[in-house]
Amino acid sequence: MKTEKEPVKTAAKPKVAFFDFACCEGCQLQVANIGESLLDILGAVDVVEFREVMSEKYDKDYDVAIIEGSITDHHAEERLKKIRARSKVLIAYGACAAIGGVNGMKNSFDLDEIRQSVYGKDFKLFPSSPTRPIHQVVKVDYTINGCPIYPPELIEVLKHALRGLPYTVPDNPVCSECKLNENVCMYERGVSCLGPWTKAGCNSWCVNNGNICYGCRGEVTNPAKNANDVIGKYNLKPELVKNKFDMYNKCKEGDINVNRK
Amino acid sequence: MNYHILKKDELDGFIRKLATKMKVCAPVAKGHNNFAFEEVSSAAGIALDYIPTILPPKKYFMPPREKLLDFDISGDKPRDTASVDAEKLAIFGVHTCDLAGIQCLNMVFSEKPRDYNYILRKENIFIIGLECSRYCDGSATCALVGNHYPNGGYDLFFTELGDKFIIHVNTQKGEDLVEGMGLPKASSAYLESLDDVREEKRAVFQNEIGVDQKTLAGIVAARQESKVWQEIGSRCVSCGNCTNVCPTCYCFDMADTINLDMKTGFRTRTWDSCQFETFATVAGGENFRAERAGRQRHRINRKFSYPLDKFYRSFCTGCGRCTRTCMAKISLKDTLKALVAESRSVSHGTGQYSSSSLPLSGDESMVKG
Ligand code: SF4
Ligand code: SF4
Ligand code: SF4
Repeated sequence: MKTEKEPVKTAAKPKVAFFDFACCEGCQLQVANIGESLLDILGAVDVVEFREVMSEKYDKDYDVAIIEGSITDHHAEERLKKIRARSKVLIAYGACAAIGGVNGMKNSFDLDEIRQSVYGKDFKLFPSSPTRPIHQVVKVDYTINGCPIYPPELIEVLKHALRGLPYTVPDNPVCSECKLNENVCMYERGVSCLGPWTKAGCNSWCVNNGNICYGCRGEVTNPAKNANDVIGKYNLKPELVKNKFDMYNKCKEGDINVNRK
Repeated sequence: MNYHILKKDELDGFIRKLATKMKVCAPVAKGHNNFAFEEVSSAAGIALDYIPTILPPKKYFMPPREKLLDFDISGDKPRDTASVDAEKLAIFGVHTCDLAGIQCLNMVFSEKPRDYNYILRKENIFIIGLECSRYCDGSATCALVGNHYPNGGYDLFFTELGDKFIIHVNTQKGEDLVEGMGLPKASSAYLESLDDVREEKRAVFQNEIGVDQKTLAGIVAARQESKVWQEIGSRCVSCGNCTNVCPTCYCFDMADTINLDMKTGFRTRTWDSCQFETFATVAGGENFRAERAGRQRHRINRKFSYPLDKFYRSFCTGCGRCTRTCMAKISLKDTLKALVAESRSVSHGTGQYSSSSLPLSGDESMVKG
């Protein structure tokens, strides 16, 4: 995925704002985990809105809007469109914003059924819509994948955005990074892993830490047409892999109707 | 040069002494029959009986990610400072297939323009080989390329003889080390035992494909339109595992990263893979190898056909790593056997593979080396 935008060049430091929609706000929390580089970031930009750490509101245009969370009702849709109109550059931040993430599981059910189970008998009073990632609602300039986002990638994307350069999300399977890190493959340990279908860019973060890849960065553009051979090697059922993939990637179905680059 | 003797129970002392002179790396068990070269300080953690490590020793010669230079673009003219990190290192326990892999890379990186980072690092690496007396597993094809025997490329080479190692000394650096440690010279009886070991191996290791390297190169070159490429291409997931683990794959990608000050930055190179979707994409978006079948064909050509013309040797060392690591169960042995079988049936007039049976796109010359 390639994204490009005019350089954000203003005399003052670029105004950056964070917004959250349907999400756990865990990705915003990752900003706090950046460590030392956080000071460098704060030296390079002016954070004007960030609900998790500040209460000020800002009423001018944003140079960079960082959007967390997915869109699950018409209020969210309208609010997002307004933010887009006020922003020079818009970044989809984290799996919920980038690909729908776990919120997409909602789309596996009948909408009324879901509303009823959440709101009870008065569910008609609470409008709701199928989950959508940000790019299915407004134009997205940069995408930072992951649940949570991988902090070094946030820094890279920010630098690209501030310089107006395109950022390329690697379109190779996570295995490509996992191998460079010389991990023992999860399949060798007898555990199934979504690495062979998931976009790299996280430096195989989960596997390095003894976990499997859950597919949180979304599917590579051209996945293996026949997954059966990967899973056949280890006697897995294709449905198992598909179900695992749906945990983060259910909203992918919505991409068929959206012109996504 | 000379042969020396080291008792097996003295190996620990040998490694400890060596570790006082330089960093020592050796194969270490990672569980699930996986091994990796890692730093050791004694013989305790070393897996003497191991199958090829996840990554080959090439990781020490050309690290997976390497900084090449630092730059500063704040002044009138950009400034840069080259960066090379070449620490003194001994690699212990390198199998003969991996010795061959290092020899291949040495040839590639010594070609002009010479790669100084590689060469400086190589100068600082002391290599201690270790002989295999039997196959690692069924994925290996070392006998096909003659790499089940040592063919140089080391400072010292260890072969087990009962409760001892007989050590072949191949370089002055090697000689200085064993002399410095006071290892006794091997008597002629040991040399005879070594001959016996080699003779026994002759029966164990047999050409796994059944044709010699030259014939195989001819077969691969003639099978460019084979249906074998389509078959393996339809299964491949383009993960690049097969090339990343290959001891003779050396393609890399370079990238400049700017620091947050937007003035200084650094240049890195990272292993790349011809199996990745965009590897052969050029400016304007044309992809010379958009199909997996074509990429797989390229990989096999790059091991068994092209290098025989360019470097007069196979660039497959027979280590079997690509087969073990493949997410799609694509076996190098099966692929080669299928090509040979197909070639036989075609030459007997039973096959009908025409060029139209394989719609591969683009030019298949050696894009990106
Ligand atoms: S552990 Fe997962 S990401 Fe790593 S190589 Fe295996 S399948 Fe790929
Ligand atoms: S092609 Fe496969 S068997 Fe041959 S050297 Fe490379 S990884 Fe080893
Ligand atoms: S390891 Fe197997 S699946 Fe991965 S790129 Fe190589 S041939 Fe394809």
